Amino acid sequence: MSNAVPNHESLKAHYLKVAQDAAKTLSQQQAIEHLLPLKLPTLRDESWRYTPLAPILGQAFHAVQREEDLLTVDDVQQARATPLESPCLVFLNGFYQADLSVLPADGSVLVDAHSHTVMPTAVFQQSFFAGLNAASADTILVRLKAQTTSAQPLEILHFTYSFESNFIAQPRLHLLVEEGAQAMVIEQHLSLADTLCFTNQVLQIEVGKGAQLTHPRLQNESLRARHLSHVSVHLAEDSRYQSTNIALGSTWSRVEWQVAFKGEHAYADLNGFYLSGANQSHDMQLSVLHRVPNCSSSEQFKGILHANGRAIFDGNIVVAQDAQKTDAQLNNANLVLSRDAEVYTKPRLEIYADDVKCSHGTTVGQLDPEALFYLRARGIPKQDAITMVASGFAGSMLETCGFEPLQARVMQMLTQQLTEAAASI
Amino acid sequence: MLSIKNLHASINGKEILKGLNLEIEVGKVHAIMGPNGSGKSTLSKVLAGREEYEVTSGSVTYKGQDLLAMSPEERAQQGIFMAFQYPVELPGVNNTYFMQTSLNAVRKARGEPELNSLNFMKLMRAKLKTLNMDESLLKRSVNAGFSGGEMKRNEILQMSLLEPYLAILDETDSGLDIDALRIVADGVNNLRSPERSMLVITHYQRLLDYIQPDYVHVLSGGKIIRSGDKSLALELEKHGYGWIKEGAEAA
Repeated sequence: MSNAVPNHESLKAHYLKVAQDAAKTLSQQQAIEHLLPLKLPTLRDESWRYTPLAPILGQAFHAVQREEDLLTVDDVQQARATPLESPCLVFLNGFYQADLSVLPADGSVLVDAHSHTVMPTAVFQQSFFAGLNAASADTILVRLKAQTTSAQPLEILHFTYSFESNFIAQPRLHLLVEEGAQAMVIEQHLSLADTLCFTNQVLQIEVGKGAQLTHPRLQNESLRARHLSHVSVHLAEDSRYQSTNIALGSTWSRVEWQVAFKGEHAYADLNGFYLSGANQSHDMQLSVLHRVPNCSSSEQFKGILHANGRAIFDGNIVVAQDAQKTDAQLNNANLVLSRDAEVYTKPRLEIYADDVKCSHGTTVGQLDPEALFYLRARGIPKQDAITMVASGFAGSMLETCGFEPLQARVMQMLTQQLTEAAASI
Repeated sequence: MLSIKNLHASINGKEILKGLNLEIEVGKVHAIMGPNGSGKSTLSKVLAGREEYEVTSGSVTYKGQDLLAMSPEERAQQGIFMAFQYPVELPGVNNTYFMQTSLNAVRKARGEPELNSLNFMKLMRAKLKTLNMDESLLKRSVNAGFSGGEMKRNEILQMSLLEPYLAILDETDSGLDIDALRIVADGVNNLRSPERSMLVITHYQRLLDYIQPDYVHVLSGGKIIRSGDKSLALELEKHGYGWIKEGAEAA
């Protein structure tokens, strides 16, 4: 099974079966109806034109059952970037693990694991995999209560781990940051072993009126993993959303962002960093919709590529006709350390309003020989000099994550990987 | 300390240095002056180890070793320091971290123990005090957004930390106003010692008002055409480079 590459029809039939076996609730049944006519993406779909599906998702990943005793308290504690006493939600293969999770005593975070609220279906409607998630996963509703300011960040840990192989994990979260709430949510995606799995996530975030959310997100799954994530963010009036999306792990990852402004005077600060090395590919698909006036957004993504690493960046900002006084700045910068690496980058602006301030740009560059020489002339060996310059390039992006322990952890991983990469340059 | 014999060097197939000879003794300050295009920058780059410059013949011996066989980092580790004419901006690389890494790389190569952050900062503060500088440059990224004066002060600070045996100042005075020039010159003078040699490369005489050289050489057409003491610099200032070139051609 794993050697043969099934065609799209048989693959679709396989995933429909996965969904049908899992679907219990009414909303899941409805999601199946919605899923039926959808097609798996092909190279003819613009946003998948550099991503042949067969080598990545061509094998049939199987559903796994909820497993209760697989993940230990130790595993969780070792993975945490936050202090042990701060709140934490733990997921294994997409299933919420209530017994390993810690909720704050003051009731500022509420979790409903049997949520019957239906996520708005307006987003990712054409996406087969988002539809698959909707049809087969239970929605976990996380509410950050109105007018609360959390002193401690909330950590959300997604583990992939099983005795089985070739399985699909489908976390599905609905995060409500209610009116006036201020919070930081740190999201990590990790594998406990060299797992071959496919994470297919849907995360829907609603930032309420006057609310603020800081959301660093680290994807560091096993180098055999496939990671597909659909993140939608809706911003109400006067709200702020800041995110830093860091992709280090998995052999293939893709994050699809859909960010929409629903109320005026809101601000979204979207940052990202990816490191793509041997046999890795990271894909960042960003869609930002300025639908209302007086909002601003900044989209800054950086990536480092080495060996035969690949990256795809497609950022699109749409400024609707009514969205006057929009301020949007989109940029993607890539540092390519090897001849075999590939980057496809496409920043786009679609502006229908006439009084806006928007810019977009992209760069693909190599290490600056002047910079390397300067460091070497100070006694720093070439390999260390390469690591220093490349970490410096990443540093400004990692700083945006707003949580120093996570930043330090990522910097350490990055330095280690760059040191290994620099040895072969 | 440094012995350059019949050095020929080219870049992109164009010969710039055409048989340069220079002997620098321990503890002496040599100045090299010359008009634009005479090969001053090429000389400093060849000494620091820029790979784009090809040495086609001649030799450079530093403390008895073949300098040209050493990588740029080995040269620095062996005690050669070049203050850059145009220091490079390194966004995202913290200045303190950079200097600590640099000093420890040099110390390691010399078989000395590396300094931890605490001891490094103690040393750094002592150096800042001697140089009459404050700590404002330390928290920033290396040279990023620095003014010309800040860049040059940062170079002098690195030089004072690394305590080289041979310091090469590549047109350190270019782009500096008179106050910045004085700070840089004071820094250099502070580092003068009987164990340390210096090679000061400059276009203008004015730096030599502050850094008094033991010897002055005039570089023209890729060779040293005249050597003398510091009075040579004054004569050059008075008569210009044309005077000495004519003299050389006549001879």
